[in-house]
Amino acid sequence: MLLLSIEELIKEYDGIRALDRVSLKVEKGRIKGLIGPNGAGKSTLFHLISGVEKPDSGKIFFKEKNITSMEPHERSALGIGRTFQTLQIWGNMTVVENIMAGMNRRLKGGFLSCGLWLPWIRRSENEALKEAKEILDSLGLLGKWESLASQLPYGKQKLLELGRALAMKPELLLLDEPASGLTPLEIEQLSEQVSQIRQEGVTVFIVEHHMGMVMEIADEIAVLHNGELIAEGTPEAVRKNPQVIEAYLARRSHTNPALPEL
Amino acid sequence: MVAPLPLPTGERGRVRGSNLEIGILHVIARETMSSRTAKVPQTQFRKRDLFYLVPLWFISLIAPDPYLYHKKGFKKKDIFYLAVICLAPLIWSDSHFHHLMVLAGIYAILALGLSLFMGYAGQISLGHAAFFGIGAYTTAILTTRYAVPTFLAFWASALTAALIAHLMGRPILKLKGYFLALATLGFGEIFLVIVRESTNLTGGVIGIFGIPWFSVLGFSFDTYLKQYYLAWGVVTGLFIFSKNLVRSKVGRALLAVAASEDAASSVGMNVSKTKLEIFVLGAAFAGWAGSLFACIMSTASPEAFSLGFTILVVMMVVLGGMGNLYGPIGGALLLTWLMDLLSKYQEYSLPIYSVILILFLIFFPDGIGARLNVRVIYLIGYWAKKKKRNKGKL
Repeated sequence: MLLLSIEELIKEYDGIRALDRVSLKVEKGRIKGLIGPNGAGKSTLFHLISGVEKPDSGKIFFKEKNITSMEPHERSALGIGRTFQTLQIWGNMTVVENIMAGMNRRLKGGFLSCGLWLPWIRRSENEALKEAKEILDSLGLLGKWESLASQLPYGKQKLLELGRALAMKPELLLLDEPASGLTPLEIEQLSEQVSQIRQEGVTVFIVEHHMGMVMEIADEIAVLHNGELIAEGTPEAVRKNPQVIEAYLARRSHTNPALPEL
Repeated sequence: MVAPLPLPTGERGRVRGSNLEIGILHVIARETMSSRTAKVPQTQFRKRDLFYLVPLWFISLIAPDPYLYHKKGFKKKDIFYLAVICLAPLIWSDSHFHHLMVLAGIYAILALGLSLFMGYAGQISLGHAAFFGIGAYTTAILTTRYAVPTFLAFWASALTAALIAHLMGRPILKLKGYFLALATLGFGEIFLVIVRESTNLTGGVIGIFGIPWFSVLGFSFDTYLKQYYLAWGVVTGLFIFSKNLVRSKVGRALLAVAASEDAASSVGMNVSKTKLEIFVLGAAFAGWAGSLFACIMSTASPEAFSLGFTILVVMMVVLGGMGNLYGPIGGALLLTWLMDLLSKYQEYSLPIYSVILILFLIFFPDGIGARLNVRVIYLIGYWAKKKKRNKGKL
């Protein structure tokens, strides 16, 4: 079943085309990877999907519903969760509160009922706390549940951000460079987490620079280059695609020799 | 000479148990360590220790622990505070004190509302006095012109303030930081101009006189003592409401909006709606405070709601400590008391007042609530060590 469908997206910044008629489809229950050299338009595409920015033309469908003009919070209410390239946890809250805040959308109660601490608010708060601890347990963060989120090490903060996105029970999870800044061991743990998430029925759409990880976990990979989609298919097919090799090799020889092997 | 141990910084969440208990442990550790390094035979227990350990333990019973406010509900300390509030006017039965505390209570309501908006949601408002004024004038006009009972006017004031806040907030809250501060500042000034110019409705610069005492079902709050219980009863009610709010999903949404709006909307929180709601709630608090103020002072005139007053309330929130609910009440008490104390120095009062405020901001940058514990421990520990060192030299 089709979960996310992007049709002919165009986005320009000051006359420079960041995305040029990009069309993509994400099937339900799969892990889709998005790769491309720096400046290829990957993050722009993510911003358009999550609603932080609006496209100049083109349409985005989620569960066969046109979400092109929706606000970010409306999109996430429909079931699109995300993490950020630059870490965005709430450092002024404890670890468990971060997760519980991720659940807010599913909890009942408005200003008045919360202020009066009505019985069902107490019940739902207790249930939320219990559920949040279970999520923390699955991420291996339960030992630190009362610490301030800003006091966790970077790798754990990344995991916490993932946990927060999971706490809202998304159907589609957008991961924006989850492995950046992590140690090899942490990347391994992260890959396991992502596979686990897929088994629970969540569709994952992942942008990543770390080729090893993305090739290992993704079912399908799309390659962006200069705002255009140049290849799409299984990891093996993409790896052998001459256009992809050229895009990466061209970059590698001139500007960025450190780019990883395909 | 012993290198000083790092101060107990009391980072929220990392410490379990009271901040002060940790501090006491620190003092004990420092004492024992210094005596070890100085190779003084260790004594079991000195009477001198009682000097600071007993008072410290006592302070730990009464001082609020702002770092733990977020996860616990109400604690035994809150009952202690309530008892103090109930008994203080009976023990200290002096009408000047009562009147001062009534004012402090009204300011505390105002500061509580503003602290939700500033300390939790991380926004800035410099127009809060306007909502206070709207509350006061609503009560004044309804009671003197239309003979509405004060109890109904009390609710109408909050409703009017909330309504105007809703209308104002929609466009204004799209702004951030300094721009929001300027916009709210402008709103406060516009309110003053309107009040001064519309003489028919508000009485212009002279204001409205003869507002009746606050009364509920025929019971009139006509003495300072009764007003004390009225004002602090409202403070208690609104405090409980706010405390419930910040420990529920609403509190988490506020903190989330303050820390990262992008992340907040990524989990389905409506950021602008959250900001608007808390702005409206803060305005309703201010409306209630204004209504009480009008009834107790029996007048409403524009100079009471000027920019200076807004700054005073912001100072109460900042001095008391942002991001906890005990802070604004403490700040309101402190500043009301300070202004009263300094009023006898007349023309010197303002410079002294400013110097004291600056000193507070230097030595208690996170607010008195957050730092007082640590400072007291530090000072006492320092004093004890100094005495010991002098003794060793001799």
